[in-house]
Amino acid sequence: MNEESIWLEQARQGDKVAFGKLIEAYQGPVYNLAYRMMSNSGEAEEAAQEAFIRAFTRLDSYNPAHKFSTWLLSITSNYCIDQLRKRRAILLSIDEPLPPHPALSADQEKRPESQLIMNEQQAMVQSLLEELAPDYRQAVVLRYWHELSYEEIAEMMDTTVSAIKSRLFRARKQLAEIALETGLNPMEQVMEMAA
Amino acid sequence: MEHETFFTLMMDALDGELAEDGRAELESHLRACPRCLREWQALSTIDALFRQTPALRPATDFVQRTIALLPDRRLRLWTMGVMYLFLLLSGIIPLLIGAIVYTLLRPAFSQPTVWESLLQSVEKIFQVMGTVLNALFISAGEFIGQNPAALGWLLVMIGIVSLWGGVFRQAVIQPGQISS
Repeated sequence: MNEESIWLEQARQGDKVAFGKLIEAYQGPVYNLAYRMMSNSGEAEEAAQEAFIRAFTRLDSYNPAHKFSTWLLSITSNYCIDQLRKRRAILLSIDEPLPPHPALSADQEKRPESQLIMNEQQAMVQSLLEELAPDYRQAVVLRYWHELSYEEIAEMMDTTVSAIKSRLFRARKQLAEIALETGLNPMEQVMEMAA
Repeated sequence: MEHETFFTLMMDALDGELAEDGRAELESHLRACPRCLREWQALSTIDALFRQTPALRPATDFVQRTIALLPDRRLRLWTMGVMYLFLLLSGIIPLLIGAIVYTLLRPAFSQPTVWESLLQSVEKIFQVMGTVLNALFISAGEFIGQNPAALGWLLVMIGIVSLWGGVFRQAVIQPGQISS
């Protein structure tokens, strides 16, 4: 029995310390997925916390035959998509722009150049992802940042492998069109910044 | 081959799933088709950008703050256990009581006259209920016949209550959908 299985069993008995170890192990992937979906650090953190709370509450429904990370990311992405749908129904004040990730904040003069380049790159990636519909964005994030196979993504999103391939196909096509229309050549721009 | 077909080959190439002959075919086409070459360059640039962009991490105290928000699972499990026990007992106890009553009163129930009396009582109860309901309907019919406007007012009141109920649901229960 590996460590993760032991922590899961202890967490099922209500041991928060054991579940804390799972949070520590998966905070990165969960938060990254939430941020890529929500494009907002506050909402991403809230989504990540809610995902862990839901996982803790529903541990009895977790099937050990599947990977815990896949189950956890599924909870995260479902919550994010629900929040994005609610966000579309609410009118936002134009005086309140969504706050970016702290790593991308405005206090850039004090940061080293490599950090600035990384911030630019992150901002570019996020602006591209924001052009995609939530389910396309979800497939792209899971494929690129979590290196999940098509089968794993299909299982997470409760759909078929061909549907996932189709979403990724359309997402890539859409991103390529944006890049061509805007004259965006990210790698050249990133390399120019580094020069 | 159509451009869409070559686009599919590009997808396979990006996923590292393109066979040698497919790769050769794609490369040959890209040399001959400027449009597909531009698309391939855009695709592979974005692919490289995404692959080289690291994942973001939360704040350093995220774990502690999240643990503080976790519900008390042990209390919840205990509460659910008590609820299930209560439901179980609420089903078993009436059965037990019924079994005890039947055992104690079995000699009485074996008498045919007891059953006849019971059935007659039930029949009389239904007769009385029928008489009361009949009288109510007849009275209501006579009242409406003498005061037809009362029916109209009743329908208006039902309509107003339904309307305000809908407004209440929209305004109070779903505040997120109200714009400024």
